[in-house]
Amino acid sequence: MIEKYKKQILRFYQRNRRMPNYAEIMMLLGFKSKNSVFKLVDKLKKENFLGKDIKGKLIPKNIYGELRVLGQVEAGFPSPAEEELSDTMSMDEYLIKNKEATYMLKVSGESMIDAGIMPGDMVLVDRSLTAVDGNIVIAEVDNQWTIKYLRKKGKDVYLEPANKKFSIIRPKEELKIAAVVKAVVRKY
Amino acid sequence: MSFNLFSFPQAILHVDGDCFFASCEVARHPELKGRPVITGLERGIVSSLTYEAKARGVKRAMSLCDVKKICPDVVFLPSDYETYSLYSLRMFNIVRRFTPDVEEYSIDECFADLTGLQRPLNMSYEKMAEKIKATLDNELGFTFSVGLAPTKVLAKLGSKWKKPSGLTIIPGRDIHLYLDKLSIDKVWGIGPQTTAYLNKYGIRTARQFAEKDLDWVQTRLTKPHQEIWQELRGNMIYKVDPDKKNSYQSISKTKTFTPPSKEREYVFSQLSKNTENSCIKLRRYQLATKKVFFFLKTQDFHYHGYEFKLIRPTDNPIEIIKMIDKYFNQVFLQDKLFRATGIILADLVENTSRQADLFNEVITAEKISKIFGSVDGISKRYGKHTLFLGSSFEAMNKSQHEGDRQIAAERKEELFKGETFRKRLAIPFLGGAV
Repeated sequence: MIEKYKKQILRFYQRNRRMPNYAEIMMLLGFKSKNSVFKLVDKLKKENFLGKDIKGKLIPKNIYGELRVLGQVEAGFPSPAEEELSDTMSMDEYLIKNKEATYMLKVSGESMIDAGIMPGDMVLVDRSLTAVDGNIVIAEVDNQWTIKYLRKKGKDVYLEPANKKFSIIRPKEELKIAAVVKAVVRKY
Repeated sequence: MSFNLFSFPQAILHVDGDCFFASCEVARHPELKGRPVITGLERGIVSSLTYEAKARGVKRAMSLCDVKKICPDVVFLPSDYETYSLYSLRMFNIVRRFTPDVEEYSIDECFADLTGLQRPLNMSYEKMAEKIKATLDNELGFTFSVGLAPTKVLAKLGSKWKKPSGLTIIPGRDIHLYLDKLSIDKVWGIGPQTTAYLNKYGIRTARQFAEKDLDWVQTRLTKPHQEIWQELRGNMIYKVDPDKKNSYQSISKTKTFTPPSKEREYVFSQLSKNTENSCIKLRRYQLATKKVFFFLKTQDFHYHGYEFKLIRPTDNPIEIIKMIDKYFNQVFLQDKLFRATGIILADLVENTSRQADLFNEVITAEKISKIFGSVDGISKRYGKHTLFLGSSFEAMNKSQHEGDRQIAAERKEELFKGETFRKRLAIPFLGGAV
């Protein structure tokens, strides 16, 4: 509950760039009396969330939460979740390495079906990588994007589909690789 | 004669995307490569064009029919500002890999201060500029023009020197070589008035200007032009300002709609929509306006506007629209076709607690401002314009442009499962089939 109150006070502070007074806290949190506000303020003061100035008006202190320093915890153990979670990553971080060079495409054909890439799938591709043999790549063929396996056997460079109904593409001129496929996303 | 003894007392970089909007489109659509491509279809006039289009005589702000006459095979695309903004952000972030001092000058331009980075990055300034350009070209898929010089004015001159895909390095001791052939009116910050004035003294090139002595400049020119004189000589006056823009002098929103309309209700609702949008921006920066200017643009490109002041600063569209309604008939002409509406909010002040007034209107206003706090909250969660005012209904409910289906940006049509018309993934979409 107290966390929720803190959040509301913080939001007031962000919106108005000042701390609320007692009456405003009462309104804000739906308290019935100023006495309950007083009690809450007392608690928050102890937590160092806020403080009072000489005139008794509220001033912000660690209103944005404090940085927890391991080994210097004053009251009890730190919440285990926070430190453990520092070693986790978001789905974005997992899928995307170079944020500025990552683009998405929508798959429409069936040429990569045996590689598990279906029409309608989203592929995430990276423009900063140099493609090597065996990568699934986005290449520019006849002024169109195409998704295929890149095969490099010595001097022989070609694009290979993952579907027997499609044939291998051997570019007449230089093969233009635009990006390397890094992930396929399908949402059900 | 050399203006500066050192090559790079400071190293300032200016990066400029080559025909940025059109290039974003070509980068996503290889089938457009080498063709004359133009953006701005929804407005009916050219907003950005590729070099291929330029070569055919197309110019910015030309109308669609004029373009078709001189270049019948033109590819005319609707603007997709969402995608352009994503590309723009990427451009800034790539430059930030090299230095934190990046000034986002406009959607397709930025300045960066590289001074002192040779040792930490273990390369010369020239190499840095080269590498930044190569990374931008490679990761964004189209070319950028880059200028490296001791000052902003010179760096900007550098990025213009060779376009497209230029890399121009102007070390302090070579400045005069670049200023020699440069006509004075091409210098950033020198307008037609100053050009005419300087011409009277026989100054035609930037070099002639830079060669004048301090005394001459101080007695004849104002401070901003004295500063440009210093910058041209390689003495830095303008610092690269890395702070995100969060102060505004004014906020404006203008929107064209097609087909043009004679209907008062409809034109008003367009204006109401612009007012709402400008107030969203006001609230985002916690500002309030005291002065409002609104205008209507007729089909033959004439403007009719009106300006009024507000009793107290506000960020509330209802208050503003009420006032506009009062003056609307003074600018709206019967039997005239209108094509665009616009609003400019000026005299912006920080939105702090308001002063009480005699009739307690402040209290009502505070209540309404609470409502808009919630409106912003809902928009954040469900997308812009989830909630809007009744007065904007016609504009919100009807598509902004005739035959919108064909001219809505591709990104808004090609949705992935889970994306909505209002909210999409913040990753540029490479178009076409794969």
